Amino acid sequence: MPVRAVPAASPLGMQAPSISLPLMFVVTGLLALFTGAVWLVAQPDLLATYHYNQNTIALTHLFVLGWLCSIVMGAMYQLVPVALETRLYSEKLARGQFFFHVIGFAGMVWMFRVWNMKQVGNFGGLLTVGVILFIYNIVRTLLRVPKWNVVATAVAAALVWLSLTVTAGLLIATAKYTATIDLVSRFNPLSAMHAHAHLGVVGFFLMLIVGVSYKLIPMFTLSELQNRRRAAGSVILLNLGLAGSVVAVLIRSRWKPVFALVIIVALALYGRELIAILRARKRRALDWGVKYFLTAIALLVPTTGLALVLSWPGLPLNTFTGQLENAYGFLGLIGVVTFAIIGMLYKIIPFLVWFGAYSRHIGHARVPALAEMYSTRLQAAGFWTYLGGLAAAVAATLCSNAAAVRWSCALLALSLALLAFNVGNILSHAVRPRLTPLAKSSTNRIAR
Amino acid sequence: MTTSALNETVILETLRQVIDPEIGCNIVDLGLVYGLAIDGGAVKVTMTLTTPGCPMHESISWGVKNALLGLDGVTDAEVDVVWDPPWHPSMMTEEGRRFIGARNF
Repeated sequence: MPVRAVPAASPLGMQAPSISLPLMFVVTGLLALFTGAVWLVAQPDLLATYHYNQNTIALTHLFVLGWLCSIVMGAMYQLVPVALETRLYSEKLARGQFFFHVIGFAGMVWMFRVWNMKQVGNFGGLLTVGVILFIYNIVRTLLRVPKWNVVATAVAAALVWLSLTVTAGLLIATAKYTATIDLVSRFNPLSAMHAHAHLGVVGFFLMLIVGVSYKLIPMFTLSELQNRRRAAGSVILLNLGLAGSVVAVLIRSRWKPVFALVIIVALALYGRELIAILRARKRRALDWGVKYFLTAIALLVPTTGLALVLSWPGLPLNTFTGQLENAYGFLGLIGVVTFAIIGMLYKIIPFLVWFGAYSRHIGHARVPALAEMYSTRLQAAGFWTYLGGLAAAVAATLCSNAAAVRWSCALLALSLALLAFNVGNILSHAVRPRLTPLAKSSTNRIAR
Repeated sequence: MTTSALNETVILETLRQVIDPEIGCNIVDLGLVYGLAIDGGAVKVTMTLTTPGCPMHESISWGVKNALLGLDGVTDAEVDVVWDPPWHPSMMTEEGRRFIGARNF
């Protein structure tokens, strides 16, 4: 028998950030992801031909700023306090950042598309104001951390790389329309762009994935960090490898493969620690959210393999090398980072909605578990569809086959539609909570 | 139910209605309840959560309080969340272990 959702008093002492804050970022991110997928279906040559053109750069910024940054920043406002056992410094600043972020990235994507670099710089300036607010807020939150650990180190490092990424992006954009920034024009424009991309993707997104998962994976699988020194080593090496790689890419140094290897060693340490955590877990079954995440981490193997090949100094600069670069970027962004984030979204969105819809009713009525708020069948179907679409898209990219890119991206879009359906299922709990009466007698019974 | 009927069994049975929404298992079989103190109509529960900084912290402790205050005879309910000793999966009951499909015990 359903129970009417009656308002109850708030939990005492509840000071968690309002769920609408991360949800604003999450919804914006999902809209950007769907737009990007449709864009690729409509214009598959963006992957099937070399990437140094205005549309590919616009689409990449839609994925990176609109989808990934929106989700990651929104999730950080929720997860950093959780992972570091403290509270967010200011929700008001975070809401201010959202305003600058959305106007900034939307304007940048549009202006990249029409190749108006002066306006890219102006909208980039707005985005930067948001990033400054974000960094300030998270730094102040980090300063409240009671006990510094590997997670806090990774988050702090990610903030440093983010600030360098944004600075580099602004310098590159400004150098396109003014001759006053002589520093940037000394470098090859492609090298500068690739260094900027690695700063952001490895420094911000991958650094956070590695650091935060040292807290979240043990939490979701009922396990513990197995070797703190190994975990710390992975974060330190990732930072050192990235610092060397960025300089090597920028100046086209022959040392590129050496620094790529340092990053690979860092990720191998990370993989070993994850395997140790999983082996020690007490929860036998891995849920699909965790499976998405771990599969994304496994995709680091082909991605870093491609990175090593592309870092080789004697690599011929021909059409196939260009397609290898496309496949590398696609696999990194849409494979590793996006797939990992979709897995974590299946944890974050149910939690946010559950918190808003059910936390006041727990103890008064039977409330659903997080996994009961969406369809695991759709989630599994989305997993396989996405993997199929990703593999096909990478193969089609390597073959420069636009038609195959279109169909494989359509498969990716189908997977995202399944995700959207499940997100709709989850959000429906906010509108119509499913409450049932508490059982009268439940000795030795497991509530489920 | 009268105050005199309040005992550990009744309270634990009531607390089995409160679940950890991430795991889906109730807090008693998860081994999160460390102790109960009953003094007339006043009940104090000492409990923990699976991980420090758990985002469900306030919700679950609030749910425990709600569930207790819903019991006839309970006039006051206090929930004390502690981190020492830290929770470990070995604290789960057999039912809890079966529910999560426990391994490595």
